[in-house]
Amino acid sequence: MFDSELTRHLAVLSKLSFTDDELAKMTSDMTDIIALMDKVCDFNPEIKPYALDAVDYKDLRKDNHNPSSETENIISNAKNIKNNSFVVPKVV
Amino acid sequence: MNLQELRTALDIKKISAAELTQQYLDKISALDKSINSYITVCPESAMQDAERAQKIIDAGSAGALCGIPLSIKDNICTSGVKTTCASRMLEDFVPFYDAFVIERLKADNYVMLGKTNMDEFAMGGSSQTSFFGGPKNPYDITRVTGGSSGGAAAAVAAGLCAAALGSDTGGSVRQPAAFCGVTGLKPTYGTVSRWGLIAFASSLDQIGVVANSAFDTGYVLNTIYGADKNDATTSSKSTGNYTGKCGMDLKGLRIGIPKEFLDGSSEEVRNAALKAADYYKSIGCEIVECSLPSLEYAVSAYYLISSAEAASNLSRFDGIKYGHRAEMTSDYSELISNSRAEGFGDEVKRRIMLGNYALCSGYYDAYYNNARRIRTQLRKEYAEIFEKCDVILTPTAPTTAYKIGEQESDPVKMYTADICTVTVNIAGLPAISTTCGYGANGMPIGMSIIGKAFDEKTIIAVCDRFEKDFNRKEAVL
Repeated sequence: MFDSELTRHLAVLSKLSFTDDELAKMTSDMTDIIALMDKVCDFNPEIKPYALDAVDYKDLRKDNHNPSSETENIISNAKNIKNNSFVVPKVV
Repeated sequence: MNLQELRTALDIKKISAAELTQQYLDKISALDKSINSYITVCPESAMQDAERAQKIIDAGSAGALCGIPLSIKDNICTSGVKTTCASRMLEDFVPFYDAFVIERLKADNYVMLGKTNMDEFAMGGSSQTSFFGGPKNPYDITRVTGGSSGGAAAAVAAGLCAAALGSDTGGSVRQPAAFCGVTGLKPTYGTVSRWGLIAFASSLDQIGVVANSAFDTGYVLNTIYGADKNDATTSSKSTGNYTGKCGMDLKGLRIGIPKEFLDGSSEEVRNAALKAADYYKSIGCEIVECSLPSLEYAVSAYYLISSAEAASNLSRFDGIKYGHRAEMTSDYSELISNSRAEGFGDEVKRRIMLGNYALCSGYYDAYYNNARRIRTQLRKEYAEIFEKCDVILTPTAPTTAYKIGEQESDPVKMYTADICTVTVNIAGLPAISTTCGYGANGMPIGMSIIGKAFDEKTIIAVCDRFEKDFNRKEAVL
């Protein structure tokens, strides 16, 4: 059963914050969505889960060193930078 | 005029690249305010592209797309040009590198007209989740374009570009192409590099082409396909020359029609698909009844797999390295969760929440692993069909384009509408959608031709043959 506690838990895992109204709406939406997803729960458990087979591991590129991107490019889209570093709230 | 004819017109100087580009820019300026198909238009750089292309044309060394004006979906990175994913999160994001496909197009000296509208982070089937307001269908501006490459399809249908690049994770090229009465190609997984395509669901995403004809989709694919050292999932099995079978005799070609796709479609869509099958029969194809029994599980499996991958892929958007950043808080976690809450729209949040639910300890096996089991089964069922068929014909969507606002607020209704397209991505197959009729409301009806892996040539040829004898109605704005 999907309830607001589970929504809160998933919000933490998802790194999303919700107001109380948003949380109620999300709980309602997720209840309907999970009901649709429940369709898979009775599927044949004997079948092997698919694992992506598109990568040909014999054909990977050589692990050569290439020049990295320039620092000014890497930080060019950050909203808050100082001394070529990202600024975040104090962590420790 | 198809792209090859446009190529000839440029080469024989019937029109210059600058004149052609200016024609498209003028049309965008006049018409796009009614359909909102572009998020960003690049008039100055487009004219510079055209001037550069003209020098190559004048030197007699033009490649296939030299001087041809195209649009690019706004989730494909373009160096120095905003790439927003139609999200507040990336509203100001300017990549400093080009996607692989853009490198290829630039090497061919194409002209980029701009970046097209889409569902936020390509999550949706209407394009109405765009932070910049949804595009409108050129056949009826009160109706949706489909999605997520809705801007690309609308721009092609309205004549606002010669062709467009889109991306297709669960039908996002084919379904909008069907809704907007144009042609959309989703290549085999691994045919086109995803390097520089902002990731949604990495095991399903594939860059595709929206154009005025099947021939044109193959013509563009000829330039953008191929192995890329930056995307290990690209394949050397891709062959090129994708228009090479156009005009071939289709006599004896076996076309499978899985009954489950018809059962789930509206009567007019079903009838149009069956009429297309009759056409193929009339030219000597063999129609084979077949079945995809696990189709009933496909939508749920698709949403579990794609959302699980999206939850992981979108974790990079934290407002620190790039993306929307909330006002500075005193707490690191709060900064991230507030930035994401403000930056993402409702549908993106639902997908992230669903993905994390599917990956949660306690739910993982029942949901995510079962979705992967269904993926195994669907691939097996497709392989069985292809033992007795060369291609498969299905409707592209169960209905024609619906009114804007009619069903976007009901996520379950939106998800189930993807029933006709998601299995192709789950199985990694190529498929192409083209118009096969018109509904009572005048809106286009799309049919899809699905092929064997890396056999784009055949599905393009099959679709091309139908288009040659089909009376397509142009959108009038």
